[in-house]
Amino acid sequence: MTISDLRRLFVAFVRYLALVLVATVLLLPIYWLVVASFRPAADIFATSSSVSLATLVPERLTLDHWREAWSGELPRAVANSLFVALTTAGLGVLINSLAGFAFAVFEFPLKRVIFAFVLATFMMPFESIVIPLYMLVRGLALTDTYAALILPEVASGLVIFLFRQFFAAVPKELYEAARIDGASWLQIWWRLTLPLSGPTIATASLMLFVHQWDAFFWPLVAAPSQERIVVQVAIARNVTLEVANWGALFASASTAILLALIPFLLLQRFYLRTITAASER
Amino acid sequence: MKHGFRESWVIVALFLAPALLGLALFRLAPILIALIGGFTGTRLTGETVWVGLQNYERLVSDPAFWNSVRITLLFNVIINPLQILIALGLALLVLRPTPLVPLFRAAYMAPMTVSLSLTSILWAILLEPTMGPVNGLLRALGVPPQPFWRSEEQALATLIAVASWKGVGYWMVFLLAGLLLVPKELHEAAMIDGASAWQRFRWVTLPLMRRPLAFVLVADTAANFLLFAPMYLITQGGPNGATALLMFEAYQAAFTYLDRGRALALSTVILLVIGLLAVLELRLLRERES
Repeated sequence: MTISDLRRLFVAFVRYLALVLVATVLLLPIYWLVVASFRPAADIFATSSSVSLATLVPERLTLDHWREAWSGELPRAVANSLFVALTTAGLGVLINSLAGFAFAVFEFPLKRVIFAFVLATFMMPFESIVIPLYMLVRGLALTDTYAALILPEVASGLVIFLFRQFFAAVPKELYEAARIDGASWLQIWWRLTLPLSGPTIATASLMLFVHQWDAFFWPLVAAPSQERIVVQVAIARNVTLEVANWGALFASASTAILLALIPFLLLQRFYLRTITAASER
Repeated sequence: MKHGFRESWVIVALFLAPALLGLALFRLAPILIALIGGFTGTRLTGETVWVGLQNYERLVSDPAFWNSVRITLLFNVIINPLQILIALGLALLVLRPTPLVPLFRAAYMAPMTVSLSLTSILWAILLEPTMGPVNGLLRALGVPPQPFWRSEEQALATLIAVASWKGVGYWMVFLLAGLLLVPKELHEAAMIDGASAWQRFRWVTLPLMRRPLAFVLVADTAANFLLFAPMYLITQGGPNGATALLMFEAYQAAFTYLDRGRALALSTVILLVIGLLAVLELRLLRERES
């Protein structure tokens, strides 16, 4: 082995060491929480206040906390959140891809100005308007409805932008050929371009879904009743009301984390690809 | 795309209307409500009256408001460069697709799927002073336990660390996307010219990363400006105002003190800052394109 081989080996070693260290800091808290939700209550406290091998590898397991968590309001909250997030993702892909299509394909007056407005809305985070939006929704007598949870999040500047980037990359000749064959623009959008845009649809649905699944501030103020309770708010109520019951809190928090993490891990390669493709243009 | 198809406005409107109506009603209208509502107040009888600049006069003479502005600025001046530096470091770390690296990329994105409210709950437990595992680990290493969220000195730093735990993977994706677009040939040419790794990063990579870095800087600032859940769930803005970020002040004005005028005036201040950032970003991006 030459000196430069050794050096390359050393650099690779340091790089993988750094990779593992960062992964530990980022993943260990999630791992600890999920594992703790399966430990008997006594073990949670004993293994966290004094650290040993048992902190990482549980000695005894129990489903008690999960049973307790799932016998409360959690199933209702999960169902509500799933309904709200799936509806938002479905509607959002439809209407935002329509708008993205128009920005990519059509020429119309004020196009640049309208598109700048769309971009501006995605640089303006939702939280900044939660308080005036609450007053608007109260004025429309929509507080404590599913509509209040879903409708404000359906139109999204970022998703419009992603679809525009994708549709603009489709060769113009394809649209021309379809027009000559007598297809209407709606048919072209629905039958020709949407089936081509799988990764963009996956990324857009993921963004809309995760945004709704994570929503806390808006549901907290807009739909506070038990019937409309969503996951994040339900878990937060457990914290403020029963601080002592860590086990059930961990089980419900684990539920919410895993239900977002698993779909994300399945779709993450599309995510990176779409962001890369959108940055390119 | 410069030359799109010219179609009748009916077709164009059909495609645009659903999304644009949504944005107008749920993004633009609330901004107008905040702007106008900031000049109004509520009488004891419940009617809304025009009060001119009164809400803003009360804000600027309120030490709690200035404390909140100070904390928000301090928080942003530290957290945004910190998160971007770490995110850039992570993106460089996972850039070359050697074995297992795709797995690490996925692992680094995992915390971004944990919602901010769950992140807060998770780290409230992990950093719990007597029972929490972080202090357990510190004790095992011979370090005295720390108060974290409970101390006026450590609360803001704790908030920055916890928000970064969730945030850095998210921003890494955008920077990684930018890095993946840097042409390999440029690096190879620089290597033939004998440029060191640092020189290649400084003179080849960084200039091409201006656009993603500008995007991440502004988007990150906007996201951090609006942090709410950790204060609501853990600190209540304390101890002693140490974590009283503007968004939480606005929430308290609206829902704890039911002070509509103050809440909308605070919302306006927040919107103005966010708007300023958006303008700044559009300008940075346009400069790049021309």
